[in-house]
Amino acid sequence: MVRITILRQEGDRKWYDTFEVEERPGMTVLEALFQVQERLDGSLCFRYSCRGAVCGSCAMLINRRPGLACRTQLSDVKGEVIDQSDKHRVLLKKGSQDPKKEEVLVEPLPNLKVIRDLVVDMEHFYRLVDSIKPWINIPDDKSPQENIIDPELQMQIGRYTNCILCSTCHGSCPAAARNGKYLGPAALAKAWRFYLDPRSNKEDLADLLSRVDSKEGIWGCDVVYNCVSVCPRKVPPTTAILKLRDVLEKE
Amino acid sequence: MTEITLDNDLVSHDIIVIGAGLAGLRAAIEIHDMGMNVAVISKVHPIRSHSGAAQGGINASLGSDDSWEAHAFDTIKGSDYLADQDTVEVLCKEAPERVIEMENWGCNFSRRENGRVAQRPFGGAGFPRTCFAGDRTGHNLLHTLYEQVIKRNIRIYSEWFVTKLLVGKGRCLGCVAMNMADSKIVAFRSEATILATGGYGRIYQRSTNAIINRGHGISLAYNAGVPLEDMEFVQFHPTTLFGTNILITEGARGEGGYLLNKDNERFMERYAKDTMELAPRDIVARAIQKEVDEGRGFPGGFVHLDLRHLGKDRIDKRLAGIRQISVDFAGIDPVKKPIPVQPGQHYSMGGVSSDINGRTPMTGLYAIGECACISVHGANRLGGNSLLDTVVFGRRAGAAAVEHVRLSGREDEDVSLDVSGKMKRDEEKEIGDLMTGEGESFATIRDELQSVMQQYAGIFRNRQGLEHALEEISKLKKRASKLKVKSRVKVFNLELMNALELKGMLELGHVIIMGALAREESRGAHYRTDHLERDDENWLKHTLAYKDEEPRLEYKAVNIGMFQPQKREY
Repeated sequence: MVRITILRQEGDRKWYDTFEVEERPGMTVLEALFQVQERLDGSLCFRYSCRGAVCGSCAMLINRRPGLACRTQLSDVKGEVIDQSDKHRVLLKKGSQDPKKEEVLVEPLPNLKVIRDLVVDMEHFYRLVDSIKPWINIPDDKSPQENIIDPELQMQIGRYTNCILCSTCHGSCPAAARNGKYLGPAALAKAWRFYLDPRSNKEDLADLLSRVDSKEGIWGCDVVYNCVSVCPRKVPPTTAILKLRDVLEKE
Repeated sequence: MTEITLDNDLVSHDIIVIGAGLAGLRAAIEIHDMGMNVAVISKVHPIRSHSGAAQGGINASLGSDDSWEAHAFDTIKGSDYLADQDTVEVLCKEAPERVIEMENWGCNFSRRENGRVAQRPFGGAGFPRTCFAGDRTGHNLLHTLYEQVIKRNIRIYSEWFVTKLLVGKGRCLGCVAMNMADSKIVAFRSEATILATGGYGRIYQRSTNAIINRGHGISLAYNAGVPLEDMEFVQFHPTTLFGTNILITEGARGEGGYLLNKDNERFMERYAKDTMELAPRDIVARAIQKEVDEGRGFPGGFVHLDLRHLGKDRIDKRLAGIRQISVDFAGIDPVKKPIPVQPGQHYSMGGVSSDINGRTPMTGLYAIGECACISVHGANRLGGNSLLDTVVFGRRAGAAAVEHVRLSGREDEDVSLDVSGKMKRDEEKEIGDLMTGEGESFATIRDELQSVMQQYAGIFRNRQGLEHALEEISKLKKRASKLKVKSRVKVFNLELMNALELKGMLELGHVIIMGALAREESRGAHYRTDHLERDDENWLKHTLAYKDEEPRLEYKAVNIGMFQPQKREY
């Protein structure tokens, strides 16, 4: 049996509950949460969908590290020693292993308001991303025709389109923790994705740059690479931010 | 995104789309662009939809030496001649336009050296016509459509769970839905309603589908009296990761991967000597299962998918997602070791009966995407055709719904207010009852349903097993009629949603088993070990299942066009 300790919240009331779940080989933290929800406490809530690390629903803090519950093996984290020196700081590196420890700590992702238990207010995150207007505009009179895109450029864009908007990066970001209006790593990575895309038209690019050219945008980043280290899809938002800074500095 | 502020119990939109995957979003865009008011209701945020998990690609005859006719022939042969040929013609003719549209909207398709959209070979296709974005095609298409929806400021009711369709005078008048954030129940009035709610994979034990894929939308239509078509045709994907059954794309074989049994033999040679690993899914899935059943699989029940000869560079460029999934979920790096795979439920060829414009037999109700049976996939869907199906028929149903509202005029407000008020109150009472008193919880009944479906309505079927499954389903339905929800929370009551969905899952299981028992032949994915041959004389027809005490089965003819049924060999 493995113990799973979950930070619960309802309204202003916060408390920790500990449950014992039966471990089976290959079990993920998400499966452990299902065992709790289906067999032990039906009131527990969390988000989920694909269970295969592609939909981005189940971002949370696991042993104080931001990550996807479906992608985290229970066997990898149950023996992990958690650095408790600063309770307000998210952890980025795995702790040392204590072979006798059989417990995992699960808490909601930071920097977003908790709705209940492990469900946080993602609308805030989506609004930040949407505020950079992340889309391609096509003039109404343009007839549909295949664009020619260099395969190398397509691969570069792909590093950023791999983002699944799980907000793990947002939960790890010190600038987002300080300032609720900071656009955050996901929105800024997306801005670079559209900057790179030859299908974006010139006026939209100028508009895009003006939207990220502020303290709430690319100049608010601490350049500590937390987002890069936690991203489950290997998207590098800090790289995108630095490239956008280069572009704006050159202008 | 717009804030949801509702100050009354009745919300009204011209057209409502239920489900926010590719089909639903494409329909919503069309409706918006034709100038009508549309809202999308989804139990998850749109980008969490299962469309995003699709890996391998989307078919379109873009090449100058390819043609829509060739695409149509492959699709119809793949369907074992059960697909309606008029709808397949539309699917294949409109494919290039829809794919180029997605490209224009910003979908990051993989490219050839010359910068044009790349295409890879796929199972059952005579030509490499599958366009792809690495092995994350669904993800890229879904995010692209979502961006276009956000751009248009289309209203989305995210994390709202639809519990019933509103029906009055034989016409669909909208739906009743529950806001997951506070459990409030609201009646949604609309002149047309489009179901785009996806498949039901999770009624099986082993499925590639997301956990949310419980076929709830299909059961909404069924409970409202709309027939379900060809539900006995369930696709089992040949290659799902052993243990978790996460999808390992057909693209892995399209790029050149081998299937090997424990004797290191490329066994497909014995089942489909010309096409080998790229035979259609039903054939490859049966071959793998047979290898395992006859003792040539690995302990636990799997075979190997070997990609090592492709090399690290090609794997990273074309199959990066597969590499990551194998490392994350099986601890295996396909650059160095073969991937352990087994067949798993993957797709529903059947669904809510609907036509070439997504119209169901109920006025005002449309169904598209995996929840629908149009039928373009017949008895077996080809890889790369489901993503195509979503955008082609999503657009068409959106346009048809707009035309319908323009031509047919609006339903009398008094009638619709009466219906919506009554159905909302009924629904509140039903949910209230579910949450009063003691009874069995959903989880054990669901586990037993999954095990019955896996065992008796899987890759291989026979009369004895199906008859037994029928008895089991009846018992489970009886138990489910008394099930109770213990949790009384109002905010994200997952137990309540699970309980409501389970009732629908049992209905669908019942229909699948009935259809499979009645159909005494083997065609495509429906394989009866006691009726091994396809029987065109008696069974070249679609099954229609209507809700009754037991599902009532009727049949309708298949639309045959330019391709007469032939023996299906690969």
